[in-house]
Amino acid sequence: MISEPILGIIMMFIMIFAIFIGFPVAFTLMALGVLFGLPSMGGHVFDLMVQRAFAVMNNDVLVSLPLFMLMGYVMERAGIMDRMFHSYRLLFGPLPGAIALATMFVGTIFGIASGIVGAGVTLMGVLALPPMLRAGYSVELAAGTITSTGTLGILIPPSVMLIVYAATAGVSIVKVYAGAFGPGFLMSGLFLLYIFVICLIKPSMGPPLPKEERNVPWSRILWEVAVSSIPIGILTFVVLYVIIVGWTTATEAAAIGSFLAFLIAAGYRKLNWTMIAESVRLTGRTTAMVCWLFVGASLFAAVFARLGAQAKLEEWVLGMGLGSSGFLWVSQLIIFLLGWPLEWTEIIVIFIPIFLPLLKTFHIDPILFGVMTAVNLQTSFLSPPVAMAAFYLKGIAPSYITLNQIFNGMYPFLAIQILTLFLTWYWPEMTLWLPRYLYGE
Amino acid sequence: MNRAIKAIDTISTWIGIPFSWLNIPLMLIMTYDPTMRYFFNAPTDWAFDAALYLYGTTFMMVGAYTLAQNNHVRADMFYRKFPIRFQAWLDLCLWFLFFFPGIIALMWSGYYFAEMSYRFNEHSVSSPEGPIIWPLKMVIPVAGFFIALQGVAEVLRCIVAIKTSQWPERFEDVQEAP
Repeated sequence: MISEPILGIIMMFIMIFAIFIGFPVAFTLMALGVLFGLPSMGGHVFDLMVQRAFAVMNNDVLVSLPLFMLMGYVMERAGIMDRMFHSYRLLFGPLPGAIALATMFVGTIFGIASGIVGAGVTLMGVLALPPMLRAGYSVELAAGTITSTGTLGILIPPSVMLIVYAATAGVSIVKVYAGAFGPGFLMSGLFLLYIFVICLIKPSMGPPLPKEERNVPWSRILWEVAVSSIPIGILTFVVLYVIIVGWTTATEAAAIGSFLAFLIAAGYRKLNWTMIAESVRLTGRTTAMVCWLFVGASLFAAVFARLGAQAKLEEWVLGMGLGSSGFLWVSQLIIFLLGWPLEWTEIIVIFIPIFLPLLKTFHIDPILFGVMTAVNLQTSFLSPPVAMAAFYLKGIAPSYITLNQIFNGMYPFLAIQILTLFLTWYWPEMTLWLPRYLYGE
Repeated sequence: MNRAIKAIDTISTWIGIPFSWLNIPLMLIMTYDPTMRYFFNAPTDWAFDAALYLYGTTFMMVGAYTLAQNNHVRADMFYRKFPIRFQAWLDLCLWFLFFFPGIIALMWSGYYFAEMSYRFNEHSVSSPEGPIIWPLKMVIPVAGFFIALQGVAEVLRCIVAIKTSQWPERFEDVQEAP
């Protein structure tokens, strides 16, 4: 007879195996929870299951998820970023690497306005790749800029991934958002700096905008910049400010944000029935996907803990004699490797709960851990050979651009991300000062 | 067989799309409440409950539609490379091993859970208004039923794919930009 903790560990290995066969994960977790819970708990596993499902339905963090998604989909589908991109291209015109700078800047803003992970790379790729190639930018710089800016949405608040993390870890969503500010904008700033410096040294990689294209009066440029950025500026300001100041809950801020997104789309005359219907359906399905995963994963985690497997696992980890830093880097390495084959939803909802109880033992702040996980997953999505972002870009790039060129372009940005990851851990104040300042200890 | 698949897909889609639209009232309610609170000093006492009701119902009821569009997250980097008939055989086994046990358990236990709540006339304790809870709990077995039904369509899809070496088509619908 095998002991219960061992049974739990077996359940975990079957789960990992099942995930990699490619069956929808939410149901696999639910079924494994029932099948493995039944021998030890009997009928109670059914009660546990319904209670878990109902808890997800009553989760006051996850309720903001559809609203932030709706905001993102409306912004994405309204094509608002086009206008912004073209105005910033002119504004940065005289600088070296003008188009790349504009891409990075607009991508960061889109990261604030959307927070949906995959959309950014495709959107920015369609928008920015053709003008950069036409202007004679090196394919590598263009690819690196697009893939890194397109994935910034994972980290920059109000990121959907951070909501899911907060719901999983049971920490305050506003504190996680406040924590992500420092690393998020530091990374974006370092990207901008890198583009500027490399284009200054090697102008052939990214020349300023050609004179004839810049033949637009400054008053006109500034007007365009104002028209294209003020509405989005107001939206991002309102959403972030009301959350941070605590005027509203994150859910209400998300609702106000999506309401404003509708108004902005209407203001630019981009609002139409098709676009609304598409946004609504995508929101519905993506929310269902994440929340059903939550239903399955929380049953699985409850059975896992009940079998004593969680305790066994912790015993093993503690037996390894790792220090705080050692544990952190081992866990981040595992998360990084999981980021290659898996989507962020699976990693956050299924694997993060395994590490969470250990954070207390190792005196790691769960907010810091969450922000690091976000930086880390972004890095993972940019790391060859699997790098999902590269494949997204390859899908929309002209066929003569090879995957290798995209990979080569990503390395410098990857280095900056790894630097940010280390800075986040060895300089925790960067992340934690804002939440502490705003909400106290 | 193909007609049965189509019929079930239609049911899931026609339930899922209207429920997706509930996100709009969710947005309006959650915008209305803080507006009233700040500008008119008149917060509502029902907005929070209504929001949770809408959110919980929506994501549960859209589950079958999500399945009909094959949007439930799966790590398919190996799966994609298998020949179609192998994919279908694999899926066929896994639907019975990893899908039906969980979802049927959810359906049955959800029903008793909701029935009990109805018999005790249970009310929410998380807000002053305290609405009745059993309708929300009843969503669990109902959503479970429709997902299980869509699961039947997926099993039929596997059988068709094994016979013809080709996956039956799904309804065309907007997909997330990758």
